[in-house]
Amino acid sequence: MTRDNLISIFRFFLLLFLQSFLLNKINFFGFINPNLYLLFIIVYRLDGNATLLIILGFALGLLLDLLTLGSGGHTIASLSIAFLRPFIIRFSFGVNYDVPMGMIEGSLLTQRLLYLSLMIFIHHLLLFNVIYFSFDNILTILKSTVFSSLFTFILVYISFGLFKEKND
Amino acid sequence: MRQLINALIKYKNTLLYLCLLIISVVFLNQQSFYHQSIFSNVALVFSSNFNLAGKNVSNYLDLSESNKKLAAENTKLKALELIHFNEQSPNNSVIDTFGFEVFGARIIKNSYNRARNYLIIDQGYQNGIELEMGVISSDGVIGIINQVTADFSSVISILNRDLKINASFKKNGAYGSLSWQGNHPKRMKLDDVSTLNPVMEGDTIVSGGMSDYFPHGIPIGKVFSFEKPELEGYYEIEIELFSNLTQKEFVYVLKNKKKDQLNQLKNDSG
Repeated sequence: MTRDNLISIFRFFLLLFLQSFLLNKINFFGFINPNLYLLFIIVYRLDGNATLLIILGFALGLLLDLLTLGSGGHTIASLSIAFLRPFIIRFSFGVNYDVPMGMIEGSLLTQRLLYLSLMIFIHHLLLFNVIYFSFDNILTILKSTVFSSLFTFILVYISFGLFKEKND
Repeated sequence: MRQLINALIKYKNTLLYLCLLIISVVFLNQQSFYHQSIFSNVALVFSSNFNLAGKNVSNYLDLSESNKKLAAENTKLKALELIHFNEQSPNNSVIDTFGFEVFGARIIKNSYNRARNYLIIDQGYQNGIELEMGVISSDGVIGIINQVTADFSSVISILNRDLKINASFKKNGAYGSLSWQGNHPKRMKLDDVSTLNPVMEGDTIVSGGMSDYFPHGIPIGKVFSFEKPELEGYYEIEIELFSNLTQKEFVYVLKNKKKDQLNQLKNDSG
């Protein structure tokens, strides 16, 4: 348990600094930045304390916004996705999910993909909606959401391998 | 209390989320000028609509106040109108140069279905009202003050069988005396008009200058029908009043400023 917590704290700051100092400066095609910090919320223990995750998601987004001088979109998006995570889990894995240790072991591939894509897509949708905050830019919002989600999805899926090996 | 705590524990995630969301929105508001302007815009729309609704309510509640103001203004304008009117009709200049002072008042009791009708208005001798002052409305004659208390006065309505008012034709000045027969609140009878004068239906009747109460030329009504008797030398004329005395609210009391001089003259010659 203590080791898990330490790993969580380490992961929290690693992803935070990685995101703020490296990934937010990629600007692939001019506007695509992967939001890998979402990985922290995704791989949080599925049976972990939901209240704590909400606070952690808020802290993660807030620190990220402060470090990158962002407008506050990351705060709202990661807070909301941390709040929505239990509903998304229930929707993706069914009501009687039985996967306490991350979802790498013992879950169907389709369920896992559904979970990942829902988390990432909703997060990005919220993020770009808050950043643009106007109905006139709905096309820009959708375009950014789709492409950034794809990019983030690829990165998250690759990173899964890293965490998996680390956990073993 | 226990249920409240239970509910708090049950919804602690949602509550926490909402609290943090509010904090994030405040943060967003501080960080970004664009979002700040949008929020303040929305706030402006909300507050202006709320203020408008509140304003409507308070306007409605202030109606009586504004009515009073309007009545006061009307009083002023009526005085100006009468002055103007007096200046414009030179044919009776001797009588018309009488100055009249105007007070505004509000009817608080009005009757029109008895043989002798009275009104009560909300001005008394504290406001300068005296006995035997004329009372008119925006479109015609109402009556004459007959009793005054500190704050109220009673008015003999022209719809009273005991009251006779001097009235004349606007077109040629032929005069008679106007009285009420007691049957219809818009019909009166004009007596004592000599058959020497031509009369048509629709002729306008105005107050005559021979009364102490009213200045010359206040419109009263028009000829509704008339009869020319063969033997007598006077018409029987039925008048339809311009003003509807059953729905009056504000009136003007006229004070004849030179009445004492007139009375003195009358006494001297009588």
